Amino acid sequence: MDNSTILETRDLNLWYGQKHALIDITVRIPKKTVTALIGPSGCGKSTLLRCCNRMNDLIDSSRITGNVLFNGEDIYDGHADAYAVREKIGMVFQKPNPFPKSIYENVAYGPRIHGVREKGALDRIVEESLKGAALWDEVKDRLHEPALALSGGQQQRLCIARSLAVEPEVILMDEPCSALDPIATGKIEDLIIRLARNYTVVIVTHNMQQAARVSEYTGFMYMGELIEFDETSRIFEDPGEELTENYITGRFG
Amino acid sequence: MKKEQAAPVPFRDFRRIRRPETGVGPSPAGATRHLVDWTVGKLLFCAALVAIAAVFFIIVFLLRDGYQIVLETGLWNFLTGAEWNPAGQHPAYGVLPLITGTLLVMALAMAIAVPLSIGSAVFIAEIAGSGTRTIIKPAIELLAGIPSVVYGFFGLILLTDWIRIGFDQPSGSSWLAGSILLAIMAIPTITSVAEDAISSVPREFREGSLALGATHWQTIKNIIVPGALSGISAAIILGMGRAIGETMAVLMVTGNAAVIPDPITNVFSPVRTLTGTLGIEMGEVAFGSTHYHALFGVAVVLLFITLVVNSTARIIVSRMQGTARSGPHRALTAAASRIPHAASAPFGRVVSPRTSQRCAFLLISLSVAIVLAALGVILAEIVVNGAGAISWEFLTGSPSDLGREGGIFPAIAGTLYLVGGALAIALPLGIATAVYLIEYTAETPLTRSIRAAVDLLNGTPSIVFGLFGFAFLVLFLGFGVSLIAGQITLGLMILPTIIRTTEEALRSIPGSFREGSYALGATKWQTISRVVLPPALPGILTGAILSIGRAAGETAPIMFTAAVFSSRFLPSSLTEPVMALPYHLFVLTTSIPGATPQSYGTAFVLLLLVLSIYLAAILVRRRYNHAKVM
Repeated sequence: MDNSTILETRDLNLWYGQKHALIDITVRIPKKTVTALIGPSGCGKSTLLRCCNRMNDLIDSSRITGNVLFNGEDIYDGHADAYAVREKIGMVFQKPNPFPKSIYENVAYGPRIHGVREKGALDRIVEESLKGAALWDEVKDRLHEPALALSGGQQQRLCIARSLAVEPEVILMDEPCSALDPIATGKIEDLIIRLARNYTVVIVTHNMQQAARVSEYTGFMYMGELIEFDETSRIFEDPGEELTENYITGRFG
Repeated sequence: MKKEQAAPVPFRDFRRIRRPETGVGPSPAGATRHLVDWTVGKLLFCAALVAIAAVFFIIVFLLRDGYQIVLETGLWNFLTGAEWNPAGQHPAYGVLPLITGTLLVMALAMAIAVPLSIGSAVFIAEIAGSGTRTIIKPAIELLAGIPSVVYGFFGLILLTDWIRIGFDQPSGSSWLAGSILLAIMAIPTITSVAEDAISSVPREFREGSLALGATHWQTIKNIIVPGALSGISAAIILGMGRAIGETMAVLMVTGNAAVIPDPITNVFSPVRTLTGTLGIEMGEVAFGSTHYHALFGVAVVLLFITLVVNSTARIIVSRMQGTARSGPHRALTAAASRIPHAASAPFGRVVSPRTSQRCAFLLISLSVAIVLAALGVILAEIVVNGAGAISWEFLTGSPSDLGREGGIFPAIAGTLYLVGGALAIALPLGIATAVYLIEYTAETPLTRSIRAAVDLLNGTPSIVFGLFGFAFLVLFLGFGVSLIAGQITLGLMILPTIIRTTEEALRSIPGSFREGSYALGATKWQTISRVVLPPALPGILTGAILSIGRAAGETAPIMFTAAVFSSRFLPSSLTEPVMALPYHLFVLTTSIPGATPQSYGTAFVLLLLVLSIYLAAILVRRRYNHAKVM
């Protein structure tokens, strides 16, 4: 691993009420790569993802021990600011969730709440972000139409553009293609690969082919534990653990 | 699609437009954000406490003045004494006749309202085409918009006469008259809640039954109504709560003799209810006297009864949510076992399924027709007679000769003042409370008690608000009978409506909007104010408009707190009393002989005002529903 680490967890444990959802997770996510988290339903991969930008704070019953370091700073430290964490570490959700506003306003929302007021700057951010999410050409003539009128795949790219607009360093994606058809999925996958030139992307996916296509590193999770984490090619061609191999070859899951 | 092969699309890196690289540690900007968030949270929390405080003060003040009657007469004598005669040589304070009166009027009203309402609900939910539904549903809801004093006026002018002549009685002011009015007033409540329950029976059950060869009526009777039964019972109990708490209409038509009918089934006997007693006697009682305490005792009894009724409804509703899907399942299985039997023995039936369906639908349509006829008669009576009394002078002049001459301008303006003030108090408090309940807290003992307080306020009869306003605002705080006392009393009365509709609107905003906003680093308050509240606005607006309508038509809460009968001028400050349309109509109708045209005119103006407000709410809701589909 010659890449430097941007995101790192150390002995991370998480409980939802009595349920022990994450067990002693220690992982280092390298900078400007795509990392995939795979595993059967309920294995904790989405939970791990949500720990990385403190979205789990919103769930009252969750309790956490251990550390999550972002550029070496502990984001669960008492001094850390959850809002600043999420500004740096954006998230794209399973189901596209554009706000009931225009396309322009969806993208401009982030910069606005972080204090950008000047029209020219907002226009530029909106354009750059939509281009970054490969959506600009499709929507440039109808920026002020409602975002909900877009197709599912376009909505998801809009959500990616929306998170690009706050200039994050890491983008977490929680099964971003599970609600999309194969063509829209292909576009998002291309986009994810391109995003990795400038951003660090962590993607949770149910689809092993997707993990193989887009990621450089893959973590396999099972029952709340991180079983194996390595370069994607090794995980798929020569996994170190039997459990991983069984999952990859479709014996369970 | 291997990653090496991904087409190289030109992609510009971002220039950092906004700020230099920073970490996630403490920063001045972060500190400000957190301070704003913290402050807003605390403010909303304080607003939410107002509901609890209001309930606390209402109960304390009712008990403070009410418990003394128990000291004086003893609890048992007070509750079971058969004579209520505070003004006699030997004053007697037994509330038994009043409780009996309340229960009798309510029971007969329910006997009339329940079949009509369920018939109407079934008609709207199952039988009517979508075109008919869009007319009938708002029409029945309009019945809920007519102020109770207008019902009372209609009852006094027409209904009691019809009863007197039709049944050859010495007087039409009777138990029957009160029950008919209450039935009409309870019908919209029962119909709309029952219709919701019927409509929410899952489609599959309906289709399952029809697929077995059942007729539409068999499906309604065996599957849909049993499936919606708990919702229908809740509807009936809510209607009972509405009927028990009603003051003005009952007071104006029941004759108000504090006697137990003899025989007990004599529906033409005059009766007096708990609410009516408060409405009649509170205005004339000497402060601090035994009679005064007895009236607060009556209010406590009234509050207790409504509390029991409303909590029963709530328990049923919460049970229903748990078992909503299992009921129809059982019914469907039962129906499945019955229908083939019927089919195999077609000659064993007295009436064929088709005939019984035809009869049932006829009865159902008849009940809708009766309800619509009631609405039509009331509206026609008041519009036809009232429109004639309207003139420029009537709308812009001040009353003279005890309202027999002149106009009602001060009453119109006074009503607007009262409603405006009530809204200015209740809207911010109500929205803040709802935001706090939905967005800020999980289910904790505190939120549960806030919700319980809101429920309790919601079920409190309007006359009890009036009594509380009188004891607390007018006397204890020394506001006197004043505009501000009326505004606060009305504000408290509409607070639960605003809280509930806002809560509902906020709940309908998907959690994914909030997540999307948080994931961009937005603070709680930014998320609420920019992402959650804007789409919830139409819902909140509907709630606000409905409460305006309610506040504009209410008489009981302002009777002792704010309203005077005659005033040439508009109040120049918040501490002066005002005229108000509903109170003006009440006094004109009951105390001023020879003012019938003015009464009609006032009723017409009041009706026009309130119904146009309701119509606005219906239109807003309809536009909102269209917008949601998008």
